[in-house]
Amino acid sequence: MKFHVALFILAVAFFHGYSADDEDAGRLLASKNVLNQYLVEGRDLTIEYRIYNIGGSAALDVKLEDDTFPEADFDISSGSLVAKWDRIAPNTNVTHAVILRPLKYGYFNFTAATVSYLPSEKSSERQVGYTSAPGEGGIVNSKDFERRFSPHVLDWLVFAVMTLPSLGIPFLLWYSSKSKYDISKAKKN
Amino acid sequence: MATKSGKQKNLTKEEELLLQDFSRNVSTKSSALFYGNALIVSAIPIWLFWRIHQMDLYQSGIIFVIGTIISTYLVSFAYKNVKFVLKHKVAQKREEAVSREMMKKLADDKKMNKKEKDERILWKKNEVADYEATTFAIFYNNALYLVLLIIASFYILKNFNPNINYILSVGTACGLLALFSTSTK
Amino acid sequence: MATTGLSIIVITLFAPLFVAGDSCVGPSVQSKYYVTREAAASVDTVFIVEFQLTCKNGLKNMNLYADVNGKLLPVTKTDDSKNKYQVSYSDENKNLPAGHYDVRFYDEEGYAILRKAQRSGETNDSIKPLFTIPINHPGVWKGPIVQSEFIAVVVAILVWYVAHSAKSHLQSDK
Repeated sequence: MKFHVALFILAVAFFHGYSADDEDAGRLLASKNVLNQYLVEGRDLTIEYRIYNIGGSAALDVKLEDDTFPEADFDISSGSLVAKWDRIAPNTNVTHAVILRPLKYGYFNFTAATVSYLPSEKSSERQVGYTSAPGEGGIVNSKDFERRFSPHVLDWLVFAVMTLPSLGIPFLLWYSSKSKYDISKAKKN
Repeated sequence: MATKSGKQKNLTKEEELLLQDFSRNVSTKSSALFYGNALIVSAIPIWLFWRIHQMDLYQSGIIFVIGTIISTYLVSFAYKNVKFVLKHKVAQKREEAVSREMMKKLADDKKMNKKEKDERILWKKNEVADYEATTFAIFYNNALYLVLLIIASFYILKNFNPNINYILSVGTACGLLALFSTSTK
Repeated sequence: MATTGLSIIVITLFAPLFVAGDSCVGPSVQSKYYVTREAAASVDTVFIVEFQLTCKNGLKNMNLYADVNGKLLPVTKTDDSKNKYQVSYSDENKNLPAGHYDVRFYDEEGYAILRKAQRSGETNDSIKPLFTIPINHPGVWKGPIVQSEFIAVVVAILVWYVAHSAKSHLQSDK
């Protein structure tokens, strides 16, 4: 699916307010990705955030907040849309994931979440930045999805049971008469 | 061997007439049997389109009813044609065995004269041929109908709107069934 | 510049040891977890463990670490006031096959010992975690191997084939 490919072009957003002389400061890059193959109304939607510290020292009091999912449109199934880490060491990354359930179908624009942190022990001002934005994605109607992807094993079994009499009964009636009067068999006897 | 098969092929004029007469005038009983079976097999697609293609039973009710009626008509048409074609062949094939059985049954009956016995045999032959041709025509057409339906609706018309898929796949299945039944082979 | 840089590193290295004065006594954990069940919902397998930790000594807002499948991760705090935490872990499906996983949790103290042990190449097994949350991963369903309609059509064609050969036999002159 086109949408799925688009989401995986990991666009990493650079944070604003970073000054070049702060070489010992923590510097975070964050991505937000939708991991789904298909976005379906009422089914799990997997959002993954990754925060990388590419700075020279640990980023402190890191807070990831995603308020881009309106309550009327999404249920939270697992995980939290607010996440905090006391410190993210340099050259490491942390991962955070949330499972949501879209309540409506149609297009939804997945926008960036906010990341704020203290770049170093000395700094008192919080750096505020954004994750990458996955972009617009189409959430499929659950009915359409069911039709296209559900195996419907039970429905097919019921279908088999339904067709059985209309095939089995005439066949057996014919076969019993055939075996009674078939000459080739009669000859053998 | 040669004489036997020769016998089989050459039904007497009388027999031929009787058989044809029986097969053309489809009795009300067998007609009801045909329509009943055709209705059942024509209604089965509704299940698939309701459950798997997720059509709404009420919203698409009219399409389902019309589709089922047309399909019932064409399927029973196919039953009749296939039965008609098969009946002669079945009669030829079963003739010997049926006569043998009847002769055995009627051998002790001294009251019956030759003509009566022949009539009874002929009647039995017709009954057997009619029965076999009828049941087989139903079985064969039902099997073919379901194959055509599944291929049409789940492969050829898979990505169509379910309503159009229903109309076209049921139409194709019963249409082709009727068409195939008119060919004598 | 260089000296301040060094001092930060020194502080960060030893920081865990200073904080680790208090440890959680008698931890009780309420947890729930999520694992990816079908490939449609996620291309990677995702584990999410959420838990609420209560210590008998009332310790809150702890820094915890989790060992998931041999990887050490910092535990995310999701609600300080309620002492709620979350661990998220994702990897390719083939690296997280179906089975039983134990997520082991360590406090700062345990984490420091664990890192030390890892550096000197010892096994982690001897270090007792603060608590463990077991995960049962039933595996990721990638869709049916054969589609139902394929089976249906094969069976239907077989039945029709039987019917057709019987018909040709009936219609033959033999």
